[in-house]
Amino acid sequence: MFKQVAALSAGIALLAGCQDQASTSGGGTRDHIAIVGSSTVFPFAKAVSERYASGAAGRTAPVLESTGTGGGIEQFCAGVGPGTPDVANASRRMKVSELETCQKNGVTDVAEVTIGIDGIAMAQSVEGPKFALTEAQIYQALAAKPYGMEQTAKTWADVDASLPNIPIAVYGPPSTSGTRDAFEELILQKGCDANPKMAALKESDKDQHDAVCTDIRTDGAYKEQGENDNLIVQKLASNPDMLGVFGYSYMEANANKVRGIPIQGVTPTYDTIASGEYPGARPLYIYVKKAHIGKIPGLKDYVQEFVSAGGKDGYLAPLGLIALPDDARAKAAADVDAMTSIDAAALAN
Amino acid sequence: MIDTTPRFTVDGTRTAPTNWDSPDMRKRIARRYAAERRFKYLGMGAVILSAAFLAFLLYVMIGNGLSGFQRTEVALDVDFPALTGGTGAAALTGPSAENTAASLDLPGVVSVAVEAQYGETEVPIFSSGAWQIVQKRLLEDPALIEARQTMWLPASSELDIAAKEGGSAQAERLLAALRAGDAVQTGFNSSFLTGSDATDPAQAGIWSAFKGSLMTMLVTVILAFPIGVLAALYLEEYAPKNRWTDLIEVSINNLAAVPSIIFGLLGLVVFLNWFNMPRSAAIVGGLTLALMTMPIIVIAGRNAIKSVPPSIREAALGIGASPIQVVFHHVLPLALPGILTGTIIGMARALGETAPLLLIGMRAFIPTPPGGLTDPSTVLPVQIYLWSDEVNRGFVEKTSAAIIVLLLFLLSMNALAIYLRNKFETRW
Repeated sequence: MFKQVAALSAGIALLAGCQDQASTSGGGTRDHIAIVGSSTVFPFAKAVSERYASGAAGRTAPVLESTGTGGGIEQFCAGVGPGTPDVANASRRMKVSELETCQKNGVTDVAEVTIGIDGIAMAQSVEGPKFALTEAQIYQALAAKPYGMEQTAKTWADVDASLPNIPIAVYGPPSTSGTRDAFEELILQKGCDANPKMAALKESDKDQHDAVCTDIRTDGAYKEQGENDNLIVQKLASNPDMLGVFGYSYMEANANKVRGIPIQGVTPTYDTIASGEYPGARPLYIYVKKAHIGKIPGLKDYVQEFVSAGGKDGYLAPLGLIALPDDARAKAAADVDAMTSIDAAALAN
Repeated sequence: MIDTTPRFTVDGTRTAPTNWDSPDMRKRIARRYAAERRFKYLGMGAVILSAAFLAFLLYVMIGNGLSGFQRTEVALDVDFPALTGGTGAAALTGPSAENTAASLDLPGVVSVAVEAQYGETEVPIFSSGAWQIVQKRLLEDPALIEARQTMWLPASSELDIAAKEGGSAQAERLLAALRAGDAVQTGFNSSFLTGSDATDPAQAGIWSAFKGSLMTMLVTVILAFPIGVLAALYLEEYAPKNRWTDLIEVSINNLAAVPSIIFGLLGLVVFLNWFNMPRSAAIVGGLTLALMTMPIIVIAGRNAIKSVPPSIREAALGIGASPIQVVFHHVLPLALPGILTGTIIGMARALGETAPLLLIGMRAFIPTPPGGLTDPSTVLPVQIYLWSDEVNRGFVEKTSAAIIVLLLFLLSMNALAIYLRNKFETRW
């Protein structure tokens, strides 16, 4: 029996040791970068963390939590010190009210870095008949069951008499693709919810609503094209009657072959995407706590790695991040170097 | 035998004796037997149904998960001297080895080598993290860099899926071409057991989550077991029976039934916000789960102590043992099997717990295994949860494989409990 008692007391002693260790490391410094925020940015941040950690000797892997943009910014703004995260990932811009919370809690200097664009563009060959679509038309043409009814549209004219009388044929990403997710979320969902009945269904039966709103027809009108967006561009160039769904950056790179289709009257250009006017895309941001630079080792290197990875040939592009145009990327890199703080006025416009 | 004694009702009138052979009576008896049989079959049905569910779960998990322990590898010729500008083995040794390796641009080296050997393909051949494996092998054996090498590197998940269960037409074509060139092999995926979480399913491993689980459970058991047992001993053997101990008993019973997420919130507020303990650390997870497990141990412990026959206590006291000797020489050893069973039930619940750990930040993506109790870490069930959420199809089998690992962990924990119980069990 004595042995058992001894084992118990040894256990308690060990625990006491653990707690001592915990309190010192909690109150002192931290040697890893702590990142929280958007689940959309999560896969990109994961790749960057991995690359950063193996980039040089002695680097500790960052700790990355997917909390959602709002939750991440809340933690980020809770204060300064090793107990709070260094970076917040965001799939939308920080709100002025959030920045005010930050400043109230002592997080006065926050640097904003635009890392790229999450989004998709619909495009067609420059030789094809000019299309201009609405979200609702795209939804009705591509849904497996538009508004829960049988899909009968064969040509675009079946969807809306004002559209050209040519067969519906759209090249797009497969269901495993992040681009497809963005397409479903940013275009199809909205087109679907334009119908008041579907908006009502969202309240009553969310699963049913999601199925009706995002399932894409499988009868051949929507052709899955693998993850290779360049292939879609080439196919579009040779088939002027077809439309394509792919990453915005590919459209920009092939402006001589394809042109963007205006959705809700907005043509996809960098300006319309950056301003949020074009429905198919949104910029992604990371927010850096300037007070932690120099205190948390490698924080600035991590952010620089993120910006350089976000280029067109960077390793984030295959994961679905759409690169910023060159001048905006140059500005992002300059922002990182200078660690420009944002203020409420910048966020408001 | 037919009962022929006369019967009387309450008011004194005579009634005929029960005729056990009458058709009515026989029907009633048959009905009673039928009800008995129905109940028996219902019970048997319940057992069979639960066994079928278990068998189905195991079948699906093992069917999906076993392939997660294997991986498809493709051969790649890497002409290191040409691609790295003739870097010597000496540069890859010593303290600056990692920096040199980082400066070699291995991702570029690998992609050039792939292009040179296989050209442009419809689906990628190699996993996007193949270069990390090249880097690891170079650091382990720097001499590799001085000559042309054929390396077996993990295939991309499209190709891996095509090899295991059939994939897209392009991947199948590519696989057939590679097989014709004898460039494909299937090997045991040792990196699944030794690796950490990764972006790329071919590299993702379970070790860091396993280690995190182990450390969390260690903290939980070290804290919850002694405190729970001492509390149970005090309440059963020493505490006076009054209103206060009744209140404590009710509170403990209630605590055992409190949903685990509430303990997570408690852990978040107390350990993280007040005590400023590190986020995502195994120690905080262990403390939180200990709070959850303690009431279960106290309840099981009290029942076990209660079931020790009073004669044993009285006999010990009778031959002059002090109360503390009675408790530690007789009551506790006899109650230990029951206490251990309760502890293991509590620990098994804690091992499978996800919700409270999400709240204290143990759901982070951490590409390195935790080095200590205060390092950020994750645990097996949370890792399963994270992987089940991944878009990449390669993670489906990893999720099932991780479930197999978790079940094995649980089984070995239970086996240990049964062993300990049998070892300490005494009959009287």
